[in-house]
Amino acid sequence: MTVLAPSIGFGASTIEAISDANDEPAWLRDRRRTWFERAEATPWPSGQEEEWRRTSLDRLPRDVELLLDPPRVRCELDAELAGAGVVFSDLRAAVREHPDLVRRALEEGDTPAVPAPEVGPAGAAPLQPVGSGEWGPGVTEFDSHDKFWALAQAAWTGGTFLYVPADVAVDAALLARSTVERGNVAYFPLTLVLAERGARVTLLDEHRSPDGQPVWFGGIVDIRSGREAWVRYANLQRLGDATWNIGAQRVQVGPGADVTTLNAEVGSSVTKVGLDVRMTGDGGTSRLLGLLAAGEDQHIDINAFQDLSASHVTSDLLYLSALYDRARAAFYGVTKVRSHAKQTSSYQECRNLLLSSEAGAEPIPVLEIETNDILRCGHGATAGAIDPVQLFYAQTRGLPPDEAERMIVRGFFEQVVAQIESEPIKAEVLQALAARIGSADVAEDAA
Amino acid sequence: MSEQLEIRDLEVSIGSKKILKGVSLTVNQGEVHALMGPNGSGKTSLAYTLMGHPDYHVDAGSVTWKGENLLKLTPDKRARLRVFLAFQYPSVIPGVTVASFLRNIYNAVHHPQQPSPEEAGKMPRYTGIPLAKFRKLLADKMALLKMDPAFASRYVNEGFSGGEKKRLEMLQMAILDPQMAILDETDSGLDIDALRNVAEGINATLSPEMGVLMITHYQRMLNYVTPQFVHVLLDGRIVMSGGEELSHQLEANGYDWVRQQVGLPEGVTDQAAEPEPVGQHA
Ligand SMILES: Nc1ncnc2c1ncn2[C@@H]1O[C@H](COP(=O)(O)OP(=O)(O)O)[C@@H](O)[C@H]1O
Ligand SMILES: [Mg+2]
Repeated sequence: MTVLAPSIGFGASTIEAISDANDEPAWLRDRRRTWFERAEATPWPSGQEEEWRRTSLDRLPRDVELLLDPPRVRCELDAELAGAGVVFSDLRAAVREHPDLVRRALEEGDTPAVPAPEVGPAGAAPLQPVGSGEWGPGVTEFDSHDKFWALAQAAWTGGTFLYVPADVAVDAALLARSTVERGNVAYFPLTLVLAERGARVTLLDEHRSPDGQPVWFGGIVDIRSGREAWVRYANLQRLGDATWNIGAQRVQVGPGADVTTLNAEVGSSVTKVGLDVRMTGDGGTSRLLGLLAAGEDQHIDINAFQDLSASHVTSDLLYLSALYDRARAAFYGVTKVRSHAKQTSSYQECRNLLLSSEAGAEPIPVLEIETNDILRCGHGATAGAIDPVQLFYAQTRGLPPDEAERMIVRGFFEQVVAQIESEPIKAEVLQALAARIGSADVAEDAA
Repeated sequence: MSEQLEIRDLEVSIGSKKILKGVSLTVNQGEVHALMGPNGSGKTSLAYTLMGHPDYHVDAGSVTWKGENLLKLTPDKRARLRVFLAFQYPSVIPGVTVASFLRNIYNAVHHPQQPSPEEAGKMPRYTGIPLAKFRKLLADKMALLKMDPAFASRYVNEGFSGGEKKRLEMLQMAILDPQMAILDETDSGLDIDALRNVAEGINATLSPEMGVLMITHYQRMLNYVTPQFVHVLLDGRIVMSGGEELSHQLEANGYDWVRQQVGLPEGVTDQAAEPEPVGQHA
């Protein structure tokens, strides 16, 4: 059988054009080339892979031009933090202003399978890994999004760079907002977060695109936390109704580090995000939280890989979806506990509330445990309509059916919402969700 | 003017099963009626039918309240006509705090709002009672019912003991201030201290503007809340009515005595009874 490689609307010359337009240093130019070659050599998902069974890429708008000049990501940082060495900026700006740091950060994230660029800038000092190499590359078994990861590494034209030096605490949440302003484009923003040993940081990463016109949005997120770092990352996806969101997120959790990621999926026509969580440091903790609110013909498919390769780690996943109209949600999650990882604790829970008889959900959790020396490893998956008993109970208290439903849906989400520590982020996430689920106040404190 | 809940020849079924076989009962504002009967006799079915539970099909008869045909109205509209049902088995509403639930239902009943068409489905109900005022109301009602303020930040009925659930029903009643309250086995599953507690709460909430239909199958609740009228429901029919003394006769003689009096075979309905859950003390 001959498989024709689907055409995409840009090629090697476009990759060169990105470097030309931004007057990029040679190492970055080379790195883009290398990744583009790898992207071309990596096959598209065939649909036979377990992670790709539920989302077809047939209608992905591949044949659109690459967005070369996206508006800068809006990032604000106060001067005191900048003075302490925190870098928080649009990625293109960071390349110009902190080239060595960005280079280290990018190259360190390249998995061993990627050949390092052969030519570096003349006389460059040998690279020291950020964070003393404590996060390491981890394992590379998670490959569902390799094609898209490579494309984004090659073709990113915008993105966010956040670097927090050792023992620096950023108390207020940082907000990165990016908007694609026109349709018929492909855009692959790269969000890079590095929290060194003992650093603390909270980031809201918000993405928007216009309604009505096709956009191929291929954002990737790379989060690395050093020893005992504390990271809160919230991705607020408010993409337009004709956007295809094919994204990947990699989270490396260092020894004793504590990392929570939240994906709030509100917009897009189709979303297919792969989460790759590498528990590589002893005593690390990760929480993967998800809030999905979808309606009309939206399709949201998340696949997750929780890789427990160190001892005494905890990794919990909780994804909740509220599905209206004909919306579909799929979840496929694998928890892998390596043979040498002792006394680990992990859980995967995916719950789906179906608010229409035509909505559907397919949650599939999988456990692969290679050791008996575990504390806890479990999963739960549900999909169903609102309990009519709850609805009747609320109605007998005077709430009309739509209001009762809103309150119950909002209460359903509370299990995740209550875990959002940053009040401004919580408020933004709720406001974004309100477009679908309506607003209901369920957690007012009586005090 | 005193309003009247008038139930006439009510026949109700679930699926193909006939449960109420012609119930007639009138409760005026300011009156306390006790409805007694063994498990499975149809007490909860009557309460659910009065409140508009979608599973209960009305085959015949009528229910009027404030001059309206109650049976035509949705449950929320009945609530807004100030009819209240304290559930025998209250429902959990995960993730919704007691405080916020109570404020939402207070506003729904006392400040109902019609959103404009373009706002429909999106309208937040933040425009009811001011927050500070509601907090004061809630604090007062909780004090009246001797409830710990910490209760307000728990999620509705989640992990509540049997006694706590019943007390939350009473708190909702106190907040909504109904004119017709149906209390379905508010005494069941409670030990003696919790029972006294809940009964005191009912007494504290009762007012001359409130009619009460108190469903129970034990006499013990009536030691605390004294009814003027007692009715016995057996096998889907009210077979006896009387004053408070009837509850004592029932206590002394049991339902088989009622069956003998009205010429029914003994112990038929208890076979169908669901077991009562074991209650815990709040
Ligand atoms: N949802 C239901 N489906 C079928 N039968 C029911 C249902 N609910 C109640 N019943 C039956 O209806 C009869 C009356 O029940 P119920 O009204 O709960 O009695 P009570 O409250 O007096 O104990 C019983 O035989 C019971 O089994
Ligand atoms: Mg009952």
